[in-house]
Amino acid sequence: MKGAGVFLGRIRFILALLSGKLTRAALRALGRNASYLPGAVALRLCPDFLARADKPGRIIAVTGTNGKTTVCNLIIDLLARAGVRTLNNALGSNTAAGIASALLAGSGIMGRSKFQTAVFESDERSAKRLFPFIKPDHLVITNLFRDSIMRNAHPEYIAGIIESALPETTKLILNCDDLISSSLSPSSPRAYFGIERMPGDVTRCVNRINDIRLCPACDGELVYDHRRYHHIGRARCPECGFRSPEPDYTGADVDFGAMTMTARDADGEGVYELLSDSVFNVYNQLTAIAVMRELGYPHSRIREGFGAGVGILESRYSEERAGDVTVVMQMAKDRNALACSRAFDYVASRPGGKELILMMNNLHDSKNWSENVCWLYDCDFEFLNRDDITRIVATGPRARDYYYRLLLAGVPEERLRCSDSELSAPGLLELRRGESVYILYGTDAIELAELVRAETKHLAEVTAP
Amino acid sequence: MLFPELCDLFGDQANTELLLRALPDAEAVRTPLRARPAFLDRHIDLVYMGSTTERGQALAAAALAPLGPEIESRIDAGARFLATGNSLEIFGKYIDCGGGERIDGLGLFNVYARRDMAHRYNGLFLGKYGDIDIVGFKSRFSHLYDTETAPQAAGARDFLFDTVKGAGRRPGDSREGLRRANLMATYVLGPLLILNPLFTKKLLIDMGAPNAELPFERAAMASYEARLREFENPKTGFEY
Repeated sequence: MKGAGVFLGRIRFILALLSGKLTRAALRALGRNASYLPGAVALRLCPDFLARADKPGRIIAVTGTNGKTTVCNLIIDLLARAGVRTLNNALGSNTAAGIASALLAGSGIMGRSKFQTAVFESDERSAKRLFPFIKPDHLVITNLFRDSIMRNAHPEYIAGIIESALPETTKLILNCDDLISSSLSPSSPRAYFGIERMPGDVTRCVNRINDIRLCPACDGELVYDHRRYHHIGRARCPECGFRSPEPDYTGADVDFGAMTMTARDADGEGVYELLSDSVFNVYNQLTAIAVMRELGYPHSRIREGFGAGVGILESRYSEERAGDVTVVMQMAKDRNALACSRAFDYVASRPGGKELILMMNNLHDSKNWSENVCWLYDCDFEFLNRDDITRIVATGPRARDYYYRLLLAGVPEERLRCSDSELSAPGLLELRRGESVYILYGTDAIELAELVRAETKHLAEVTAP
Repeated sequence: MLFPELCDLFGDQANTELLLRALPDAEAVRTPLRARPAFLDRHIDLVYMGSTTERGQALAAAALAPLGPEIESRIDAGARFLATGNSLEIFGKYIDCGGGERIDGLGLFNVYARRDMAHRYNGLFLGKYGDIDIVGFKSRFSHLYDTETAPQAAGARDFLFDTVKGAGRRPGDSREGLRRANLMATYVLGPLLILNPLFTKKLLIDMGAPNAELPFERAAMASYEARLREFENPKTGFEY
């Protein structure tokens, strides 16, 4: 009977492999994206497809609340610059079906993998369906923060999911400035990355979200030696002596003027040109450097990779000139208080006068039910209460909620406008010469944001003297 | 505010912020986990407790357990409480965490919570508090059940809101939340008072501040009325 079971399992796998490949071929013939359905078909036919599929010899998985796509893409690009082709799911889903689709795409007709290395972005909640089967050699956890209330509940829940799914052999690459993720699975091999104290660091939390205030060891109240934002920083417990771990890979001498950072570890250091002047992207860059160092690449090689054009995805941030106004597109993940807080903090730090269009509505929710807006009150709208932010247009299905939230954040009412239609929002801007317009949009509103940008640019160009 | 370092998920802190703005002369008293709650020793106009993690529930319940009889006596003497989200579960008999694990509650109600971490319930809520429409959001891993040993007396009103649409204590139960004297607890989470200006004004009256003004009441009402229309729309889905 056991032999029959093994035989049937093998048959099921072969059927899933062929069906998945046929599905992929059909979708590609139709000009469609084949990054999810082939894998979903394969998993439906063979639930242990991921365990059975032939996989590259080296697998790096990247998970975490924020930054995983950016970090994943940086690693893929750096490896490519180093001459390493990677199997990846950069163009598709980060769930089990997405990774199964990638494995199908990266294998020959008999299912043998055509790649030596894989870099997979992994949704945190999918950890149980992924990690026990693909057994990553390295698992990068960028950070754990509050995310979607409905899907991810809170960081402790996600930490529990990831921890319960970790293979013993997987080496973790963790952010030592994040006590939630860095405390995961103490018995797993690990390396830490972190940024040393920077000007502007505080000790008291100035954010509405602060996800770890009590010592993980004794529940005493934590004290921060320095804090970057939210719970990110270096903390200790005066009661039991617990403290944040020390980094193996340190981001040091971060200089936003010169746009450089030194990445330092026990075996050397390198001075890197920063890809972005936002702190969260400095973390993303340092994470990628740490991974490349773990894989054995010298700093010189990694620097060459960055120098050859490796950068941050354009779809998340871009700026261009229109008339006398700079129009900036800034993705601010919808229903994600922390991502929006970071975006607000970044926008607030930019020089010069600014006007904002806030359109972080979740369009899918607005069509099918009513967006859960609790996240607005975890989000640091207070950062937008500045004299150099002269106009904020709250727009979309949740415009009135944004408007009310901004008033409660202290933004004077004369600076606020409200528009149900996103496309009408640019008409409510002043478009002052030499200033910037920031369009903050959510993840399912990219096309709509492009239309808003186009309208903003058009108005800026026609009003230019 | 009870255990603000633990009980502050989902925008809950906005509730007390709103009240403090409406009552500019009010004093905010924050009781951390290891401190004795102030309301046990002096008059507090409102004790608020917000949503927390599952571990937070265990810590909070353990901190309050030795004070159970005192808390019960204060509540029966009229102490005003508002608990949102899963903090309400601490006021029941126990929380069944699954796998044989259980957290003892304060036992103030003949209910228990049953937790299922594999299934998160997400829904909208439309209810009534007297003639006041209540709108809100629910997101949780557990539901509330009557205890077998002491079911509620028929017609007993130990709940806070009447459910119009969405789930009450659990899907299919029209009773929402818990009520005992001036203790009000609801599974509606996050900025309940922000979302429901009429309920907030009633609460302020009950707290002895009938002339308190809500900040930006016009904007609050615009947001509330728009949401109420959405929730009353039969085409609006109520479970995520």
